[in-house]
Amino acid sequence: MRINSASVQNWILPVATLVAWEILGRAGLLPRYLSTPSAILLALWELALTGELFVALAASLYRVSVGFVLGTAAGIVVGLGAGILPGVRHFFDPLVSFLYSIPKIAFLPIFLLLFGLGHASKIAIIAFSCFFPVFVASRHAVLSVNQLLIWAARNMGTPSQTIFFRVVIPAAAPQLFAGIRIALAHAFVLLFAAELIGSKAGLGTIISYGEEWVRFDLMFAGIVCFAVLGFLSDRMLLAIRSRLLKGQMIGTEEQVVR
Amino acid sequence: MTAHTFAQIQAVIARWYSIPLLLLVWQIAIASGLVESRLLPSPEKVWSALVTETANGMLIYHAGVTVSRALAGFLLAALVGIPFAGAMARSALVRNLFEPIFFIGYPVPKIALFPVFTYIFGIGTPSKIAFTFLECLYPIVVTCYFGFRGVETRLIWSAQNCGAPRSTVLRRVILPAAMPSIFSGLRVALPVSIIVVVITEMIGDSIGLGYYITIWSTRFTFANVYAAIIVIGICGLLLDQALLLLRRHAVYWQREEA
Repeated sequence: MRINSASVQNWILPVATLVAWEILGRAGLLPRYLSTPSAILLALWELALTGELFVALAASLYRVSVGFVLGTAAGIVVGLGAGILPGVRHFFDPLVSFLYSIPKIAFLPIFLLLFGLGHASKIAIIAFSCFFPVFVASRHAVLSVNQLLIWAARNMGTPSQTIFFRVVIPAAAPQLFAGIRIALAHAFVLLFAAELIGSKAGLGTIISYGEEWVRFDLMFAGIVCFAVLGFLSDRMLLAIRSRLLKGQMIGTEEQVVR
Repeated sequence: MTAHTFAQIQAVIARWYSIPLLLLVWQIAIASGLVESRLLPSPEKVWSALVTETANGMLIYHAGVTVSRALAGFLLAALVGIPFAGAMARSALVRNLFEPIFFIGYPVPKIALFPVFTYIFGIGTPSKIAFTFLECLYPIVVTCYFGFRGVETRLIWSAQNCGAPRSTVLRRVILPAAMPSIFSGLRVALPVSIIVVVITEMIGDSIGLGYYITIWSTRFTFANVYAAIIVIGICGLLLDQALLLLRRHAVYWQREEA
């Protein structure tokens, strides 16, 4: 068994950072707000024992998943519609091109007032923010489907329903997934900001409690959970995509970034 | 001639009718008392808020703060990220050391680290710029890395064959070949910089458009909130157009994708 030097080099920086952090932290050379990795793990364990962690995780997961699914579904349906029907396209294009460049978080105070401090306001703002990248991606994907494929199918007498499900959707799927991946990243950013600015439950609340009580290990525990959650959900999306798009991913950049 | 102009007018109306239509529906909904006008002020009120707040300089001042922070973080990320991506593409050691940090760290929601940044850099401008730098660095490094790797070895060889020194190869061959990817990375990062600055200003600051939105929403003056949202959208649009203009000069041999 030969140790691959490339994979050793891959581990050097992350491991060195963690070890240096731990040693410097124990020696008291770091400021107090940087609790050591071992203290963060202990805080995670403490949160898990009291069950607080799971309550917060459940709240955050519920918000982000419902918001993401609602926004993405709406984006796909309206985006596909806009790609196929010029009427839908002409209605939504000016609106989206105006709203697209605005950070959706700016609407948070309005959503908080409309839907309250509970789940509904977070779900609504996450869905609102997920809609746009998915809409743009699916609209563009349908419009850039190779016309020859559609003509070929029509030439063989395929009904338009079958063309939609067997030609347009598979051809548009890779771009659609690119939009969905951006939406997922947006969902987590919005979740964090919304929970930190106005919320009574969730991982963001653990982070802000940690700050208030000067328990920086708790703050970092929340941060770690949040990062892991975002990372894992992205990996899940990539796994789903590589199953659905078998053979369509070869040689693309996304195949390499994983 | 008249038929032609008429058709043109009709086409413009068919493409842009949705924004005036929605504004009209909005105005009617408020005039008829269907919607609480405090939460959703009429377009007229938003417009007058936009005019007065621009005239007294408040919006311009806060927009200046937000845009200069966003640009500072973005430019720093570009200055560091582009050469760094080149180094990663050229040297196996640098690649192996930093690949996990950039490619595994890419889907991690980095926004969760913002509380730590406020402890290290304070609540004001430095923490915003540092955090914008981090958020912009990822898309720039990852996209430019693929750009630099995608430079055809054939081109480099033929330049070397003609006796070009290393600096000339870098300046005249590698950089122009990677230029389109560099610009697409920058174009992903630019809106990210605005989003991040607005979010972090909403979480905690006393200047900037994010703060402006938070303060006027706590005073229930939503006309000003909408005015600020419009200003954010205009800033994002202008920055994007400026980048496209720059790209047209730097990558004059290739048209930008829509």
